[in-house]
Amino acid sequence: MSKREVYVIGYGITKFGEHYELNPSSSASQALSKAIQDAKISKDLIQSLYFGSLVSNRNGQSYIGAEVSRECNLNIPITKIDVGNASGAGAFHQAFIAIKSGLLDCIAILGTEKLSDFVNSSTLEKILGGTIDYQWEFEQGATLTSLYAWMTQAHMKEFNTTMEQLASVPVKNHKNGVNNPIAQFRREISLKRFLDAKRISDPIGRFDPATHCDGSAAVVIASKEFVESHTEIERKVKVVGSAQSSDKIALHHRETLSSLLATQVTSKKAYEMAQISSKDISIAEVHDSYPIGEILAIEDLGFFQKGDGGSATIEGKTQINSDISVNTSGGLKARGDPFGATGIAQIIEIVQQMRREADQRQVDDIKYGLTQNVMGTGASVLVNIFSNLEEDK
Amino acid sequence: MEPPKIWRERREKYLALGVLCHDCKKKNFPITQRCPDCTSGNIEEVKLAQTGKILYFTRVSQTAKEMMFYAPYIVALIELDDRIRVTGQITDTKFEDLTEGMKVRMVFRTLSKNGEEGLIGYGFKFVHI
Amino acid sequence: MNKLFQGIIMSKLGIVSYGSYIPRYRISIEEIAKVWDDDPSEIISQLQVFSKSVLGPDEDVATMSVEAARNTISRWKGNPKDIGAIYVGSESHPYAVKPTATIVAAAIDAEKELTAADLEFACKAGTAGMQMCFGLVKSEMIKFGLAIGSDDSQAKPRDPLEYTAGAGSAAFLIGKERVVAELEGTYSITTDTPDFWRREGAVFPSHGNRFTGQPAYFQHIVDASKGLMEELGTKPSDYNHVTFHQPNTKFPHTVAKMLGFTTDQIDISLICKNIGNAYSASSMLGLAHILNNSNPGDRVFMTSYGSGAGSDAFSFSITDEIEELKSYPLTVEYYVNNKEEINYGKYSRYKGILR
Repeated sequence: MSKREVYVIGYGITKFGEHYELNPSSSASQALSKAIQDAKISKDLIQSLYFGSLVSNRNGQSYIGAEVSRECNLNIPITKIDVGNASGAGAFHQAFIAIKSGLLDCIAILGTEKLSDFVNSSTLEKILGGTIDYQWEFEQGATLTSLYAWMTQAHMKEFNTTMEQLASVPVKNHKNGVNNPIAQFRREISLKRFLDAKRISDPIGRFDPATHCDGSAAVVIASKEFVESHTEIERKVKVVGSAQSSDKIALHHRETLSSLLATQVTSKKAYEMAQISSKDISIAEVHDSYPIGEILAIEDLGFFQKGDGGSATIEGKTQINSDISVNTSGGLKARGDPFGATGIAQIIEIVQQMRREADQRQVDDIKYGLTQNVMGTGASVLVNIFSNLEEDK
Repeated sequence: MEPPKIWRERREKYLALGVLCHDCKKKNFPITQRCPDCTSGNIEEVKLAQTGKILYFTRVSQTAKEMMFYAPYIVALIELDDRIRVTGQITDTKFEDLTEGMKVRMVFRTLSKNGEEGLIGYGFKFVHI
Repeated sequence: MNKLFQGIIMSKLGIVSYGSYIPRYRISIEEIAKVWDDDPSEIISQLQVFSKSVLGPDEDVATMSVEAARNTISRWKGNPKDIGAIYVGSESHPYAVKPTATIVAAAIDAEKELTAADLEFACKAGTAGMQMCFGLVKSEMIKFGLAIGSDDSQAKPRDPLEYTAGAGSAAFLIGKERVVAELEGTYSITTDTPDFWRREGAVFPSHGNRFTGQPAYFQHIVDASKGLMEELGTKPSDYNHVTFHQPNTKFPHTVAKMLGFTTDQIDISLICKNIGNAYSASSMLGLAHILNNSNPGDRVFMTSYGSGAGSDAFSFSITDEIEELKSYPLTVEYYVNNKEEINYGKYSRYKGILR
C-alpha cells in the first residue's frame, strides 16, 4: 500500500437544524468556504471537490456541485459520491484514496443535505426506503425505523439488553450535545422521557430516532508533501486508516440482526491500515441514528464484548473522559442527521477534539479517534481513523 | 409505481418466486439471473413455501404516501417452511394478538395505491393461521 | 333461443373444483342501526340477516378473486397452465378499464395462453361466466375454464342496502376431467327490467325499492328455475340441495316456497345470515358450500339473479370425485367462522367512506 500520508488541514460546518431560508447550495457553500479559510490556503490550491449527499438532487437541481462551484468561484472537478446516507464518509474515503494514489495533493470534501425542504414525512420515508432493500423491504411495507426495531429486538433477546440501557444512549448524547454549538438540540433529555414516550415501531419510541435536518460540513485534506510545501498551513490531523465494506442490504438475507457485519469487517481493515487495535481508540463518533445503532457500533468496532454495549453505556463507560468517549459531539441524535453531512460532521468532531477546540466537551489524552458512518441498516459501513500522536501544536 | 416496474415484477410479487440452483441445490429469494450462493446460471424459478413463522414483527405508522392508507400496519420478518426468509406485512391481525414464532400463511393483497387514478400494487402478505 | 343446452348432456361436463373467499371483518345489523337510530330487531326480522362481511383496507375484488381462485387450484391440485379461460363477474372491479381477470391469471400462474374477460351483470355475472366456460369446454375450445363471482358491494350510507351489502368471492373450475358436479343442464331468462342500477361514474347504486322484488327477483328466478326443470323433466323433490341468489335470507326462502322446495333443501346454502349479500358471489358461495356438504349421487339446483335483469338456472349431479375435494381446509365454513367484528367507524374507514 501507498506510504503517502494524508492530513485533514481544515474544516467548516454550518449549524445543524431547520434552515428554511437557505437554499441547498448556499448552505453547502458556507461550509466549504469556512473549511478553505480554516486551512489557511488559497482556494486555487484545491484540485478537486468530492461531495456526498443523499437527496440534494431531489429538489429540482440534479447537480448542486455546479451551483457550489459558482458560489465559491471554483473551476475544479466536482464529483458526487453516492453511498446513500453515508455519502459524506463515502466522499471522504474516495478523496483519501485519490491522495494516497499520488495523483492529487489537495482535495475538498463536502457533505450536505437540506431535509427541511421535505415537509411531508412520507417523502422522507420514501427517500430512506432507498437506503434499505427498496423492492423487498420498503415496498413490502418495512421502513428504516421498523428494521432498526427488529435489530433492537434481536439484541434485547440475545443479550438481555434492556430499554433503560438503550435509552441511556440518547441520554448521554443529548448531554454531550449541550456543549456542541452546531448541534440541533442543545438540551438534556431524561431517561424517563425516552422510556415514557409512545412507541412508534416497538420497541423504538418517538424520541429515539435522530432527527433529519439541514446541514453542511466540509473538510480539506492534503498530502504530507503538500503540507510541508505550504507553510501557511497551521494545523493538521493525520488520517491513518480509511475503509469501507458492504453487507447484504436486506435484513432477511443476513445471518444475524444483532451485529453489523460490515462494521466488523470495515473496522478490521481500518485498524490494520492504522496498525492499531480497538484498544488504542480514545474517542469515537459512531452512527447512533437509533439507540441500538450506537450499541451495535461500540460492540462491532471492538470497544466492548458482543452483548456488553448496553451495560457499558448505562454504566457510563462511553461518557466523555471515561473508558472511551463516544459521540462527544452529541452524535446524530443531538447534532441532528443531515445524511450526507453527517459523515463529514463526525470527522470534524474528531479533528476539533484533536486540535483541542472542543471546549466543554474536550476529551483529554487522545491517541486515536475513529468515525463510523452507516448506510441504511448496514449495507455499507465506512470507518476512518485519525491519529493525534505527531500533531504539531 | 410506474407501469413497467409493476409489469416486470408481477410474477415475483404475486407468486412469491425464488430461484433453485441446479448446481449447488440451494434455494434463494428473490429471483436473480445467477445463483447468489455459487454464481451458477443453471437455475430455475421456484415457488416459495406458502406458510412459515414470524421471527420479528413491529408496527409501521409513517410510510410512503402510497401505503399510508393501510397504516398503522404490521411488518414482519418471516421464515418460510423452506427456510427462506422474507419481509412482509401481517394483515387481518391485531398487533396485541401476535407472538414470535406464530405460524402464518401467504395471502394476496394490495400493497400500494397510487392516488385515486394511478395503478394498484398487488403482492403477498401474511395472515396468522 | 333461451335453451343453452338441449336436454341432458351426455358427455361428462361439469365442475372440477371450487374455491371461496370471504373477508374477515363483520359489521352487525345492530351496529349499523345504531348510527341511523333504526330498530335493529325490526330489520333483522325483516331480512333474517345478522351481520355482513366487510373487506379489509388492503383488499379488493381482485385480491378476493385471487384467493378464491387459488383455493380452487389448490383443492384441485392440477396445473394452472391448463386453464384456457378466466372470467371474473363483478360490479365492483378495482379498475373501470384493466381487467381483474388478467390479475387473477398472473396471480395463479395461468399466464399467458388463455382467454379472459371481466363480466358485468349485477349479481349474476359470475354464473354467466360459468355458462361461458361450460360452452367453451363442451365445444372443446378449452380444456378448463375458471369462472369467478366476486364483489365488494357498495351501498349509500343509510340506504336499506347498507344493512346487507357484503363481500365475498367464489370460483368454479369447469372441465371434463375428474368432474365433481356434473352439469345436467342450464337455462337462462333475460329481460330489460330496471330494478337496480348504477350509472357510469356514480359511486353508489340506486334501486326501485319494492320493485326489486316481485317483477324482478321473484319472477326471473321462478321463470328460469321452472324452465330448466321442465327441460330436464325434474321436480323440486328430485334435488337434495338448492341455492338461490341471497340479497337477504327472506327472499331465497320465499322463492324456494314459491317453487316448491322445502326449508331443508335450501337451508344449508343460506350463508347470507352471517355475511350479507355478496352480490356476484352470492348464489355461487351457496353452491360452493353445498358442494362441500354433498355426497356422491346428490342432485343440486342453483338459480342466480342479476338485476337489470336475468337469471341463470343450473342442475348438477354430484359424482364420487367429490370426496377427494372435501378435505381441503379453506372452506366457506372456515371463512364464515374466521371473523372479527368492527364498529361503524372502522367500517367507514375500510370502505373508503371516510376520505
